[in-house]
Amino acid sequence: MQPTEIPQFDSLLSVESVAQLIEQASSAVMVADIDDLTALATAHTCFQQIAAGVGVVADSGTRSKLESTSRAAEKLVEQIILREVEDAEAAVRSLSSTVLELQNLLRGTGIEPQTNAAQELASPLPAAVTAACKTDKPDILGGSHAVAVIEAETALNADDVPLALEFISEANAHIEAAEANLLKLEEHPGDPDAVNAIFRSFHTVKGVAGFLNLKQIGALAHAAENLLDLARKGELEITGSIVDVVLESIDLLKSLLGLLEHALRKNEPSEQEPRLPALIAKLHAAANLTAPLPSVSNVASASVTCPESQIADVPSTPNVAAAPVERAATTTAEPRPNDASQGDGTVKVSTERLDSLINMVGELVISQSMVSQDVTAVATTNHRVLRNLSHLGKITRELQDLSMSMRMVPVQGVFQKMARVVRDISRKAGKEVDFVVVGGDTELDRNVVEAIGDPLVHMVRNSVDHGIETPNQRLEAGKSRAGRLQLSARHQAGRIIIEITDDGRGLNTERILKKAIDAGIVSASDQLTEQQIFQLIFAAGLSTAEKITDISGRGVGMDVVRKNVEALRGRIDIESAAGKGTVLSIHLPLTLAVIDGMVVRVGAERYIIPITSIERSIRPTAEQLSTVQGKGEMCLIRGRLMPLTRLHRLFNVAPRTENPTEALVVIVHDNQRHCCLLVDELLGQQQVVIKSLGDTIGAIRGVSGGAILGDGSVSLILDVPGVIDLAE
Amino acid sequence: MSTQTVNSVVKLTGAKGGKYLTFAIGREEYGLEILKVREIFGVMEITAVPRMPQHVRGVINLRGQVIAVVDLRAKFGMPSTAQTEQTCIIVVEINRAGRKLNTGIIVDKVSEVLNIATDAIEEPPTFGDSVNTDFNLGMGKIGSSVKILLDIDKVLSSEDAIQIDAITKAAA
Repeated sequence: MQPTEIPQFDSLLSVESVAQLIEQASSAVMVADIDDLTALATAHTCFQQIAAGVGVVADSGTRSKLESTSRAAEKLVEQIILREVEDAEAAVRSLSSTVLELQNLLRGTGIEPQTNAAQELASPLPAAVTAACKTDKPDILGGSHAVAVIEAETALNADDVPLALEFISEANAHIEAAEANLLKLEEHPGDPDAVNAIFRSFHTVKGVAGFLNLKQIGALAHAAENLLDLARKGELEITGSIVDVVLESIDLLKSLLGLLEHALRKNEPSEQEPRLPALIAKLHAAANLTAPLPSVSNVASASVTCPESQIADVPSTPNVAAAPVERAATTTAEPRPNDASQGDGTVKVSTERLDSLINMVGELVISQSMVSQDVTAVATTNHRVLRNLSHLGKITRELQDLSMSMRMVPVQGVFQKMARVVRDISRKAGKEVDFVVVGGDTELDRNVVEAIGDPLVHMVRNSVDHGIETPNQRLEAGKSRAGRLQLSARHQAGRIIIEITDDGRGLNTERILKKAIDAGIVSASDQLTEQQIFQLIFAAGLSTAEKITDISGRGVGMDVVRKNVEALRGRIDIESAAGKGTVLSIHLPLTLAVIDGMVVRVGAERYIIPITSIERSIRPTAEQLSTVQGKGEMCLIRGRLMPLTRLHRLFNVAPRTENPTEALVVIVHDNQRHCCLLVDELLGQQQVVIKSLGDTIGAIRGVSGGAILGDGSVSLILDVPGVIDLAE
Repeated sequence: MSTQTVNSVVKLTGAKGGKYLTFAIGREEYGLEILKVREIFGVMEITAVPRMPQHVRGVINLRGQVIAVVDLRAKFGMPSTAQTEQTCIIVVEINRAGRKLNTGIIVDKVSEVLNIATDAIEEPPTFGDSVNTDFNLGMGKIGSSVKILLDIDKVLSSEDAIQIDAITKAAA
């Protein structure tokens, strides 16, 4: 990010270009350390040009001061490069103050030597704000006018695209951190650390956006930063409506980043975000305090009257030194060749590469096991070969563990998002909720983390909306005013368990049952266990909410939750006690890439049944088998009658035997339904890497994917719910 | 043939001159753009996939990637024959919905790589309704023999239609 080219100005510079040069010198100085000759050389050239170009400054006093200061700076850089100064590091530091001095001097001439970033950011702001504030109703009219001023991100040049993509992921991390801190701040108002952290996040985003010339993002981050700056100085307390505005900015920034990423991937200019000008106006209004908040799109509020006098203050004096500092920070974060030891030790790798690495490692493991089987089969007595082979095996296993761990990410990120959901919903529903996160550093597969987000939102939403009572109800029930919602994650027996615990009213079994009977999901004569009734909340079309709110209660959601969790090969357990609360626990596999499977043989084919779906397997006796109307085969096992499905018929394979008493039945279930699958024999349990068939063959009912077995051949993994569907 | 007609032919057929991998199915000789070919190997054990159209023979493990294998004989509606030592699987890279995808095709025999000049390619003949020439890019003339140049993307993507059909039937 360090400027590599210094614009070559003619001897007659404009004042702006002097300002620009100073800015450039400042960023060079910021990144420079005593060994970084490139940066020092850049600074040197800048100072030289400043000294040569000060002729344009009208005021002679300022001119000579500027000239002498930059000459001195130039000399100092020279000495640093030549190692003629004793304390080079102090000298570099003194350069920064020199740059500041230059900037102040130039500002004295009436021209604000704003940083590049700030200049680009600031210029559209006054206009935008004026546009939004001049009209009494800052509606579409004001908005559209301002849109013309804050132009969409122009197409970046090709060199900047990787940089911009990196910025997007960084910026996302920053605003997520800001969001988390904001929620923390709301709990402990006035926490200076949190305010500072939020400010820094926006500040960084603003700085880099300015550097990349991303106008919309920069303008928004800048406006939010101004507001937060006031809070940082203690001139403004971040509470209620201010938090809302900042959260809104965070949301909009996220959407802007999304738009930008989309645009970059498609290689087309980014779209306008119509909500932007109104939000910026709102941020400014919030910063100005005296004015009520203008309405923004869906948020209805009073009309705005922005006094013109305040608008003049709005293009807040840019923090002259800060922007370059930020750039320096981002630049130094990249390990430079000559101080590699100071790098932070992380490398960004595209997921595609990571996935193919994991694939290759999987293949290596298979090849290794094949080779070692072959060698053992030859019964070699060559100890050297055997020793080396076992060494190879050890390395391969370690490599496999390592590659698997590379996909693991902490679940904290998703949990943080839930904090926001809890906040929004508890406010809407007029409830008070203490949100607690436990075990956020538990790691699980990236894909699982991504996929678990939506189901969690639904479940958390339900817990707050249905589970936790209103403060009055809670007080009446003798509980504390605020409800408690705990989100926890932990490893247990090779699986991840995510629990959502609330201390609300608990599930009302009677009402659930009544609703389910009304909805025709179960019949009144059914004898259901408590657990079965609990599971009914996941049935499609069942809502126990008495009134349908915009939060929840439409009876969709929870069935989607269960589907999503099952798609991840997980399940949801429910524990609930009336009046005490509910615990929803999601059991998930550590990774989606590997499953524990039972390899079974049917004729010449081998299939894999996921272990989690298998209840037991037996060889049936003739007494246990019965038929219905000569067709439907049933199997009576331990007093339970279950349908018998011949896998060979389902998949059209010639079996070894047609007689069930000479074969085996595997009892499988999908949490509700059970089914006996007839197979020839069990070959053993093993962990297999799942390979999708989706691309090549498309979805096949009854088959969830393929797996490569130890001998390199492909075997199909059964999709148990699908098989049960087929059997029915 | 004048240059004028050649140009118009090229426009119609979409086939360009260049290197083609030729292979045989029965007595017919086919050609495949060499850039589409990833690799060729002898027939290995193929895992059958249930509920698939007849010409989808199953899946194989291509160095960690599970890919589908299509029997071109069955696909073209020709009677199946016993496998010989010359039976091969050609792995081709096809475009499906903008994504690159490897698929294996089973052919009777792989012949050679030929350089076919643009002016040696003619547009596919029409046979009325009896023969579907959608898969045909053109006819390459090499000496006295004729190679049928295949649009492999079309050959293999027309699977989708059949398959979706099969799946919806299964679901019904």
